[in-house]
Amino acid sequence: MPKVLRGKGVIAGIAIGKIMLVSQNIDGYLAAYQAGDVQAEIGKASDALKAVAEILQSNVKTLKEKDMPEQAAIMEAHRMMAQDPMMEESILAKVQEGVCAPRAVLAASEESATLFENMDDAYFRERAVDIRDVGRRIAKYILGVKEPELGDEAVILCGNEIEPSVIANIPTEKIQGVILGQGSTTCHAVIIAKARAIATVVGLGEKVEGIADGASVLLDGETGEIVMEPTDEIIATYQEKLQKQQELKAYYAKLAPLPAETTDGVRVQLAANIGGHTDMDSALSYGCEGVGLFRTEFVFMGREDIPTEEDQYKAYKEAIEKCAGNICVIRTMDIGGDKPLAYLDIPKEENPFLGWRAIRISLARHELFMPQLKAILRAGVFGKAAIMLPMVISVTEVKQVKELIAQAKLELAHEGKAFADNVPLGIMVETPAAAVLTPVLAKHVDFFSIGTNDLVQYTLAVDRVNHNVSYLYSHFHPAVLRLIQTTIKAARDNGIWSGMCGEMASDPYAAVILMAMGIHELSMSAPSIPRVKEKIRSISSQKAKEMLDAVLQLEDSEAVKEYLYKNL
Amino acid sequence: MEAKVVIANKAGIHARPASMLVQTATKFQSKIKLAAKGKSIDAKSILMIMSLGLVKGTEVVISADGADADAAVKAIKDLVESKFGEE
Repeated sequence: MPKVLRGKGVIAGIAIGKIMLVSQNIDGYLAAYQAGDVQAEIGKASDALKAVAEILQSNVKTLKEKDMPEQAAIMEAHRMMAQDPMMEESILAKVQEGVCAPRAVLAASEESATLFENMDDAYFRERAVDIRDVGRRIAKYILGVKEPELGDEAVILCGNEIEPSVIANIPTEKIQGVILGQGSTTCHAVIIAKARAIATVVGLGEKVEGIADGASVLLDGETGEIVMEPTDEIIATYQEKLQKQQELKAYYAKLAPLPAETTDGVRVQLAANIGGHTDMDSALSYGCEGVGLFRTEFVFMGREDIPTEEDQYKAYKEAIEKCAGNICVIRTMDIGGDKPLAYLDIPKEENPFLGWRAIRISLARHELFMPQLKAILRAGVFGKAAIMLPMVISVTEVKQVKELIAQAKLELAHEGKAFADNVPLGIMVETPAAAVLTPVLAKHVDFFSIGTNDLVQYTLAVDRVNHNVSYLYSHFHPAVLRLIQTTIKAARDNGIWSGMCGEMASDPYAAVILMAMGIHELSMSAPSIPRVKEKIRSISSQKAKEMLDAVLQLEDSEAVKEYLYKNL
Repeated sequence: MEAKVVIANKAGIHARPASMLVQTATKFQSKIKLAAKGKSIDAKSILMIMSLGLVKGTEVVISADGADADAAVKAIKDLVESKFGEE
C-alpha cells in the first residue's frame, strides 16, 4: 500500500505529478559530503562559482525576455555576488585552512551576510537574505542538490512555507498543486493559489520533511490526502473524481454568464478578489462582475523599491479596463505586520496586527501614499474605479484621506495629467470600531466593504494562525453576525452600498444570510463564484429572510452552522 | 589617476546602482578602487561596494591603476554623476 499523508485540504482539486521542493534543507547532504584534498576542494569551489554565475546569467536573460525587469535586476545582483572577488577570496582562504568547499561557501556568505545585517540602513540589512540565498545556491551546486528548475511538466510545489513571490512568478499552467507544512489557510501563498484554483493541502507540519524532491504524488485538495508514489490502481480510483471535477467545471462554465439572482428576482453582485491585473482573465472566466478587492500589496511586493506612480497607474489601468464597465475597487496599501517589506523600513513589532500598518502607514508616509492615490485617480479615467481604505477606525482618518485626495487632484491638474474627478471613496469594515461606528462613518464615505478575515479575528480576539485557538475562529459567531448586520443596515439607511470581500463571502451558506441582510455585493476569489451563485439561484429571498430571522435567534456559532447546513 | 564624486541619486547605492558600478568596472583591465568613509574597496566587488552603505551626499574618491586607468575613472565618474538614470 502506498503511504498516505494527511493535511488540511483548502483548495479542492486532484493533482497528479512530481514534487518540486521550494525550500530545501541541505543539512543531510552536508553531513554525507565526502571532501577531497585542498586542491580538489579549491577546484570544486571555483567551478561552482563559475557555473552558478552562468546559470544566473541565463536566468537574467530569460527574465528580460519575459519583460520582468525587476526580477531580472535582482538576479543580476545575485550573479555578481556569485562572481564577487571578496566572496571568492574568503571562500578560498577557508578551503586553504582545511574547510570543505560547500561549508566554506556557506561560511563565507554567512560572514558577508552578517556584515550587511549590522548596517544602519534597513535596505542593506535586508540584502543579507540575498547573500545567504546565493551562498546556499553555490553550496547546493557543489553538493549536487538539484535547483528547482521548471521543465515542461507541471509540478506540485512543496515546502514548509512558500514565499508568495515564488508562486506569483510561476505561470499557472506550470503548477498542478501546492503542499505546505504550515497550517494557515489565509497566508498569502494560499490566497494566490486560491485565485488561480490550484489544488492545495496545508498543515502537514513536520511530515512535509518526509516528502522528497521529484517524488510522484497524488494530491486531493478536498480531503487533504497526499498519496505517495501512487500505483496505477489508485490513480484509476481517482479518475472518477477527476471526471466529476471536470463535469463540475463544465457546469460552472455554463453558470458564468447567468446573474446571481434568487428565484424571486433579488440580485447580488458577485465580484472577484484579485492580486494583480494578471488575475483578471481567470476571474472573468468564472463570471465575475467587476472587482470588489484589488489587493495592491502584490504591486508593492517582490520588488526592491517603492513602485512608482507610473508603474501603479499601468497595473490599475489594466485591471479597470478589464472590468469593462463594472466597478474595480482598489484597496490602498495594506502592508505591515504579517507582510513586511524591506524598503518600507517598518520596525519589528511585538504585535503587528495591532501595530503600524495599512492606513496608519499611508497617512504617516505621504511619499508612499500620494503616488498610489494619484495612480488610482489617473487610472479612473479608463472605467469605474473606487478607492478603498484598509484598517479604518475613525472618521478622522477618512477626513485626512479626503484632504490628500484633493491635494492629489491639484497636483495632477498642475502636472497636466488626466484624472477621474468622481472616484468613490469607501472603507474596509474590518475593525470592531469601524463596524460599531458605521452609522456615523456612512455619512462620510461612498461604500462599505466588510473584511471578515480581520473583523472575525479582532472581534473574537482569536489569532487565525494559532493552532491552539483557531477552532474558535468562525464567521458565524453571533457577535460577528451582529456587527455585519449593523454595517449593512447603516449603509442601507444612508443610501450607500455595502459589500464583503473577506473569506465569508465565498461561503455559500453565509452568502444566503448576507443577501437576506441586504448586502449589495459579495467579492471573493473567483473560483468560488459559481458555488455561491448556484446557492443564491436556488433559493427565494423570502425563504432566505426566514432563515436569517431564525439564525439571529441562535446563541453560538456551532448552532448557526448546524442550522444552515441542515436547512440549505 | 583619481577623481572625486558625490553620490547624487536619491536612493544611494542600492543593489541596482551597485551592479551598474560593477558592470562598468569589470569592463576595464585596471585595478579600480573606491574610497569613502575612511575605507578603500575593490570597485569590482558588489558586496564591498554595497557594504560601504553609500547614501546620497557621500563623497567618493575613484582611483585606478593600469593601462586603461584614465578611461576607467572617467567612466565610473560619469556613471555616478548620471545618477544611474534614477532620480
